[in-house]
Amino acid sequence: MASSKRKRGAQGSAPKKAKKVKFVSNEDETSSEINPETHEVTVPAPVSRGKWTNKERVLIFSSRGVNFRTRHLMQDLRTLMPHSKADTKMDRKDKLFVINEVCEMKNCNKCLFFEAKKKQDLYLWISNSPHGPSAKFLVQNIHTLAELKMTGNCLKGSRPLLSFDPTFDKEPHYALLKELFIQTFSTPRYHPKSQPFVDHVLTFTIVDNRIWFRNYQIIEEDASLVEIGPRFVLNLIKIFQGSFGGPTLFENEHFQSPNMHRRQLRLAAAAKVREKQMVKELQKMKRTEAKEDVTKDVTADVFLTPADEKPVQIETEPPQVKVVKKKHKVFKRQRMQMARR
Amino acid sequence: MIIDNPTMDAEEEHPEPGQDSEEEEDEEQSELSDGELQEAFARGLLKPGMNVMIDKPKKCANSQEGLKQCLADFRRDLPWVERLDLTNLPAENVLVTPEGKEPKTTKAEINPDNDFEREMFFYRQAQATVLQALPLLNKHSIATKRPDDYFAEMAKSDQQMQKIRTKLIAKQTIIERSEKAKQLREQRKFGKKVQIEVMQKRQKEKKAMMSAVKKYQKGMTDKLDFLEGDKKKAGKDNPDPKKATQKRGPNSKRKFKDQKFGFGGKKSGTKWNTKESFNDVSGFRAKVAHGKGPKGAKRGNKNKRPGKTVRKKMKNRS
Repeated sequence: MASSKRKRGAQGSAPKKAKKVKFVSNEDETSSEINPETHEVTVPAPVSRGKWTNKERVLIFSSRGVNFRTRHLMQDLRTLMPHSKADTKMDRKDKLFVINEVCEMKNCNKCLFFEAKKKQDLYLWISNSPHGPSAKFLVQNIHTLAELKMTGNCLKGSRPLLSFDPTFDKEPHYALLKELFIQTFSTPRYHPKSQPFVDHVLTFTIVDNRIWFRNYQIIEEDASLVEIGPRFVLNLIKIFQGSFGGPTLFENEHFQSPNMHRRQLRLAAAAKVREKQMVKELQKMKRTEAKEDVTKDVTADVFLTPADEKPVQIETEPPQVKVVKKKHKVFKRQRMQMARR
Repeated sequence: MIIDNPTMDAEEEHPEPGQDSEEEEDEEQSELSDGELQEAFARGLLKPGMNVMIDKPKKCANSQEGLKQCLADFRRDLPWVERLDLTNLPAENVLVTPEGKEPKTTKAEINPDNDFEREMFFYRQAQATVLQALPLLNKHSIATKRPDDYFAEMAKSDQQMQKIRTKLIAKQTIIERSEKAKQLREQRKFGKKVQIEVMQKRQKEKKAMMSAVKKYQKGMTDKLDFLEGDKKKAGKDNPDPKKATQKRGPNSKRKFKDQKFGFGGKKSGTKWNTKESFNDVSGFRAKVAHGKGPKGAKRGNKNKRPGKTVRKKMKNRS
């Protein structure tokens, strides 16, 4: 793609990538120009005020067999990163180092490669293309830009602020990952497709041995934020010294492959069922086995308390009748009369 | 006892990331041939007793020097303006936390399964970054506020934002409606309570009045104080202690029953055809008498036979 040589400061001539929009537009911080002839107004592409030196290009593509959510995530990343390029799906038969050649052809020096296995698990490779390090992650909990709960919005191609956890500085592998993220995700200054305002922030946090990615829009200067999306969780698997190959520099011991995870769940369920069956069998056995008759009561003499023998007393005369004298109560009327008197 | 089995090494080369590090495998003892076991025993490696095979704990590659070297090679020392990155802890928690819970600022205290806590942590981290970054951006004269008349393409299309807006509005209306319904229900309950109280009060007053009137009629009191209302309720001076016992009147139990159930009444001889009862027109209802009572109370003959002239007309018509 030939970089168009735009005349700096020449606003009269319509630049190549002008967008026709129906409302009044304004260039960045310059006077507004409305074409009186046509009702449509051209929104000039953001004119870089400076020279674009940080030539960082990211190739974002995937293998075959990705599902819709991954595709949307890729599209979202491409919208957020104006320094990205797209490519067709790679065949799974090719080895991974072919990607290096693809990157070279496209003149990119970073690569985000999404790989799907079993149509269920999504792996992400982030690599620095010719010689640099690369890392493989398992991606989980993907939410895309299009979800209605993500209410924020940002300029397309605006430069993001990157926010990292202090944990990234503590371990060498996290430090390497931090550098990789910075170089990949930060939009270069004066990139022709970038917007000059900084209005969103990407956060990378390490919680539970995973890297959580969030994207927030900055609404007010007092740091009130709204989430734009997308959001995902990266589970580090390995870091390699070369791009898509090379010696392993770091392996994550907390990582459990999704297959093992599913297997463990299945084993747990199976163990539960087996245990229930065993208990049932035991009960059946107990019920059908020959029962012995209990002739002697083992608990017969629990409450026997040794006590002195009392001599047997025989009464020869009947007991005397007790005479109870009834109190004679006066009748009610008499009582009332007495009370009244 | 850990046996470094050559067959196990071949398995480790497989790219199986999730191998249990310590397993007791009795079944795999058959892989080790008897000859090997005899050799090991001869060498004194085997001890008497139960020998189980345990895998070597899986060694995860973690070459710190390699990582540092790689980082040193890979790092590009760009000025901050190019990178715009910041590392910070979350900002102070401004929200009111429930009693007994302190705001969790350190990461070790966060429970990753508690969604709200986790998301608030991320939010506060982003906030801290923004607060720190704004002065720096101002210094480098990078704008953060978009002027009102700057229109440009947004990451989400206007259509998407419309959808979001309608959804939010719908949620809000649902909440408002439920709130209104709740309030109405409460009001109705309250109103009903008030109505019942007022009616009960009126009943009580009526009863008191009637009993006072009856008392006067029966001659128990000769004062017409009840007509004045409740003016003289408090401050009745007690009779002399000397006459107190004599002037007790009926028993307190009798008094209570009188108050509650009234004074009984005439059991028979209430309906007589006397001059008074004949002249008493209180039972006369004009509407019912003139046939203007509620319609439907008395339904006339539905199939009323029409009169002679109408019948003649009908006959002549057909």
